[in-house]
Amino acid sequence: MSTDTQTPKPARSAPASRADRAGRPTLGKLWDTWGITAILALLLAATPLVAPDFLEFSNLQSVLRESAYLGIVAAGMTFAIASGAFDLSVGGQLALVSVVTLIGYSAGGTALAVAAAVATGLACGLVNAGLITGLRVPPFVATLGTLFVFRGVAYILTQDGPKTLPYDQIGSPFVKIGGLNVAGIPLPFVIMLVVYGAAWLLLRRTATGRRILSYGSSPAAARFCGISETRIRIFVFALVGVSVGIAALTYITRVWTADGSAQDGFELKVIAAVVLGGTSLKGGKGTLIGTFSAVLLVSVLNDMLVSQGVPSAYQRIVLGCVLIVALTIDGLRTRFAAPGSFRRALSVLVQRPSPVDGA
Amino acid sequence: MSAALRKAPLVVPLLLVVLFLALRTDSFLSGGNIENVLVNAAIVAVPGLAMTFCLAMGEFDLSVGSTVSLAAVVCCSAIIDGVPVLLAMLLALLAGALIGLVNGMVVTKLGVTPFIATLATLVIVRGLALAYTDGHDQIVSSPALKYLVGGRPLGVPMPILLAVLATALAWWSINRTRFGRWVCAVGSNREAARVSGLPVDRIRIAIYVLVGTAGGFWGLLIASQLQKGNGQLGLGFELDAITVVVLGGTALLGGRASVLGTVLAAVLIETIRNGLNLLNTPPAYQRISVGLLLIAALALLGLRRRVTAGPATVPAAVKEAVV
Repeated sequence: MSTDTQTPKPARSAPASRADRAGRPTLGKLWDTWGITAILALLLAATPLVAPDFLEFSNLQSVLRESAYLGIVAAGMTFAIASGAFDLSVGGQLALVSVVTLIGYSAGGTALAVAAAVATGLACGLVNAGLITGLRVPPFVATLGTLFVFRGVAYILTQDGPKTLPYDQIGSPFVKIGGLNVAGIPLPFVIMLVVYGAAWLLLRRTATGRRILSYGSSPAAARFCGISETRIRIFVFALVGVSVGIAALTYITRVWTADGSAQDGFELKVIAAVVLGGTSLKGGKGTLIGTFSAVLLVSVLNDMLVSQGVPSAYQRIVLGCVLIVALTIDGLRTRFAAPGSFRRALSVLVQRPSPVDGA
Repeated sequence: MSAALRKAPLVVPLLLVVLFLALRTDSFLSGGNIENVLVNAAIVAVPGLAMTFCLAMGEFDLSVGSTVSLAAVVCCSAIIDGVPVLLAMLLALLAGALIGLVNGMVVTKLGVTPFIATLATLVIVRGLALAYTDGHDQIVSSPALKYLVGGRPLGVPMPILLAVLATALAWWSINRTRFGRWVCAVGSNREAARVSGLPVDRIRIAIYVLVGTAGGFWGLLIASQLQKGNGQLGLGFELDAITVVVLGGTALLGGRASVLGTVLAAVLIETIRNGLNLLNTPPAYQRISVGLLLIAALALLGLRRRVTAGPATVPAAVKEAVV
């Protein structure tokens, strides 16, 4: 589903996942995209039994509102991971962008704040891209370094105390970004939906999306096909930066305050959500539907645990276990999906003749 | 001389920084301050050495920060419960080893990517530490525990002594033993190592246990310094440990380890931190400097590689083809 539709003949000895990309849906392929969504649906179906309060309208609203900033950054991160890299600096970016946005707001109101958010995010992304493409620093180290740097700059900007939105600004259009509802749906979630729509089109319906996926599945092969590594890197990391910029707008208008320590550990949360959604850390495979559902799954789970009075310490334990279980299932699936064995059984289930005869 | 420099390029920036600080501050070269720097470097270096093995094997362990917290909690609450201090310390190390074992099993037997598996245990273990302490500090007052950081057998501060021992041991086992060779073999090409008959899974599990135990030890050092344990200790330490290793020149994709590099990197980072303190720079600049240092080191490495080997190095291409 991701890379190569140019090679119609099913490669004999290629791993099953490669052959899967020929077209027709298999169970495994469906699971890749929709598996986490199915789990989310199950969880939601179970909520009336476990946590009846969950379905109250105001609670649903607040869950969606709180999940927006994580979701938006996760959309950008899906591209990075699909291209085979990841951006560890998003936590630092979020802190820095939030601080700069608040400075922008106090200097020039809503318009400047929005511009500052997007511009700062983009600038952070371009710094990462420059280090990776220009100075040839591996993405892991480059973004680990800039994580320290961005956070550090945010700390320096807030040396006299955290930046906050003054309380009398509650009626301003900027603050409404976080608080407004559109037909009952919180605006941050609407923004998140729009971001996901655009991201899906970009990944699945444009040449750029295809190039990102092919680069992720094999950088060497992509280079030989004339795909510019530099352009992919710049595009992907700029995209992550812009997504942080947008996310920061929904974040800062919810929490009203930011300093260098804002959202410590955010990068790991984002990466966890993307991977939980089914995007492979090896690159070449990305699913925005999966990421979207994973973000909601984590938020819903969190909210349910909170509403059940589970102490936050145990919430961490539960979330960590969910991550391991989800990835274990995925690992087992890919292991059995190797040529032969389990895959054939799946093909039978969905009435599909097996193209791979295990020799 | 140039061969030595190629092996430990960090000597140059370290000397420059020391020279700069010696000229710019009065107190940097005082015996107490140098010792202070070295003790702090030693505390990071020991887990850094374990992490060196892990990266040489081509994998990460992100759970170290939480292991620090849990080990400190285990040790301190055991002491509070009247367990003899030595036994309490042993329990903490055991807790660390157990976390490592879980990591290793999840990674090898369940086939979860190390990055995600250890990310999950990072979250879980911190949850355990918080749950166990109910969010409270476990405060102890134990001279025996204090000895771990404050003691001076033979007049040398204990952490430095331990770090020197650990360095020697790590250097020996990477460069002179079969096990070290195995670790690098797994790091440079796991499939090839498996085909050649190496017990790959067991090697990986062993390394995770090693890193877990070292994380536990780090927790003991922190508990010894602060005389307390709680669920908040060690936040972000995993990245500190990885930073030291990467800065030291261990290949990020595995296959090569630089033990001395790790130690030098620990000393360099602590020297810079100390210098910035002496120069009265706000703590924020310390973060920035560590980040910039990391980027600069790897950028130089990248530039050198580009100059010597052209745009796409052969090993990199081979690696991509295999993975």
